[in-house]
Amino acid sequence: MKLPTDVVKMYKEVHGWVGILSGLCLFIAFYAGALTMFELPLQRWASPPPALAPAPSLDRTPELVAKAIAAHPEAAKGYEIHLRTDAAHPARMSWTVRDPEDHHGGGTTHYAALAPDGALQVVTQGPSQVAQLIDVLHQQVGLPFDHEISMPIMGGIALLYMIAIVSGLVVLLPSLVSDLFALRIGRNVKRMWLDLHNVLGLFSLPFHIIMALTAVVFAFHDQFYDAQGMAFGGGERGGRPAMAAPAEGPPPATLTPAQIVARVREQAPGFTPQTLVYGRGGGGLPALRVQGSDDRYGVRAPSYGMAGVDPQTGAITATDYMPGMQDGWSATITSFFALHFGNFGGATIRWAYFLLGLAGAFLFYTGNLLWVESRRRKERKDGAVDQTRATRILGALTVGVPLGCVAGISVTLAAAKLLGGHASYGMHSAIYYALFLLATFWALVRGAARAGVELSVLGAVAMLCVPLASLIAGADWYDAPALMLVDGVALLLALALLWSARAARHRARTGPRDSVWSDRREPSLGAPERGAGGGRSLKTAQHRAASPSRIVASRPRARSRASSSLSASFLSCASAPRSISTDRPPCCASIRT
Amino acid sequence: MKAPLAPRARRRPLSSRDWFGKTAAAFILGFTLALGCAGLFRIAAGVGDAYFSTKGQFAMWLMAPVWALTLSFCFLFRSSLRAWLWLAAANLLVWAPVLLMGGLGS
Repeated sequence: MKLPTDVVKMYKEVHGWVGILSGLCLFIAFYAGALTMFELPLQRWASPPPALAPAPSLDRTPELVAKAIAAHPEAAKGYEIHLRTDAAHPARMSWTVRDPEDHHGGGTTHYAALAPDGALQVVTQGPSQVAQLIDVLHQQVGLPFDHEISMPIMGGIALLYMIAIVSGLVVLLPSLVSDLFALRIGRNVKRMWLDLHNVLGLFSLPFHIIMALTAVVFAFHDQFYDAQGMAFGGGERGGRPAMAAPAEGPPPATLTPAQIVARVREQAPGFTPQTLVYGRGGGGLPALRVQGSDDRYGVRAPSYGMAGVDPQTGAITATDYMPGMQDGWSATITSFFALHFGNFGGATIRWAYFLLGLAGAFLFYTGNLLWVESRRRKERKDGAVDQTRATRILGALTVGVPLGCVAGISVTLAAAKLLGGHASYGMHSAIYYALFLLATFWALVRGAARAGVELSVLGAVAMLCVPLASLIAGADWYDAPALMLVDGVALLLALALLWSARAARHRARTGPRDSVWSDRREPSLGAPERGAGGGRSLKTAQHRAASPSRIVASRPRARSRASSSLSASFLSCASAPRSISTDRPPCCASIRT
Repeated sequence: MKAPLAPRARRRPLSSRDWFGKTAAAFILGFTLALGCAGLFRIAAGVGDAYFSTKGQFAMWLMAPVWALTLSFCFLFRSSLRAWLWLAAANLLVWAPVLLMGGLGS
């Protein structure tokens, strides 16, 4: 497709700037977001075995509810019946006593069970909150502000992200056909990383458009609603309809949970109820919301849809958020949420989203690398070899922020098993920030080259803490064997990080000296860059058949590494030795077409 | 909103230099444009007062693509001034029917 060159050039600049402004934040959002695809399994993995007696059967649940409300009258205001119990839902019944000072929905959740002798047991120690921390990191990338301040910032980042998508597409369009399936590994290595950036971006384009637009809404929905309220009227924002089921007449005895479940199954076959949420509707009358999922449909919340149910008759009364019973408008809105949450195709789609999320994080990382590299090339043209402070800082942040995020999440996740039930949200948060800030600070102090190696090792060690914590905590922390996948994936990621540490070390030792990734100290002026370009420059030099012999003498063993290591090979492009005679173009320029 | 295409031979090449004026125009007028589109939709779909009705939610969702795409394509305007003028005209176009049909609340 042909586009005016000035348009492409302009969008290339736009792409670079919005990318560099949002890239690191987007890395955190995507890495944490990929993990939230498995928020519930992670919560089960991280939660201690329940201290309560096994949950009573659904038929005995009315006895539990009656005893709990007799002992804790405040529970009558609202409580939940969990139809499925596991480490993340440790009791059949729970209720939350709100802290009146806390406006963010905090409070103390109580969990109730029946001892074998029928006595009531109530504990306030719930499942691990580390999964929530990861979710909040996904939403706010760790911005140290209140939700009300963080969200508009995240909205701004989402807008930059959308601009980056459009501008990236415009830049790619002219060479789309020729570059579509091109992944030129091993020739020009900068070309290879650009190809990879393009391939990742293009083939996950629908995913990224979905994420950008939904993220804009998630961040700005308050502002959007307020603006519409101001412009078009419509009055106060009331409660959501599904939350308050209509209740008519005097309250007769409500159906038992078992009866409710049977009635719901009867009306909505295919829907699997997970939780009954009892509350108070209009006029203080009992209201009931049934949460659950249906494999055939996407759902509105990350892991469940819901129906308003009449607690006296069990009839489904509110279907706006009920999978399979929504009208066209509701189903359309729900599809937006489901496309963001990836909850519409069972485990397959969750794994696909997990991989797309990691690929997205990697996309932003390669984007940052390309930015550093193209800045470096410009400076070389101007004759300056020393990198500017800005490039050095950006190089350091490109290493420190992602690896700090990865290490912080791993260690705080592992800490859940080591600290047991004592780990509060605040402690998990403190562990994460300590590692994240340490890594970022370390990268800034040590420079990208050395920190790249050291922090990759740190990330791998942090990742290994996850299976290690499992070994220490023992087998009774697994409430399902499938949860060992958490340890397996952590092990794989640890290996990947070790491999990248090896590549980074190679790059720091043998890569071109003028790069922010180089850790070579010997004087550079006039000296040939032995092995600097890896195989690329060597090969090209030979190809051009007129190279000074000292370039041909570049260490050939650098070559195989260059095409296989992310960072090392990425840098090799700009390695055209300065000692090449000036009457011929630098070798990489002849390839970069 | 597309930038007007002047005869290619005579025009000054586009550049990202006046990005601030263009993005400011798209940020502010793009938002009001999105709001106007939501207003049009509310009239067309008969949303009325029901804030959290699913149609009301759809009207809210509509704002994101309009605003984000305006911001993405605003760089195609030849100058900041043109960006402001064209986007103002687009706003007028969208808001006029909203005003005429009484879409504004009290």
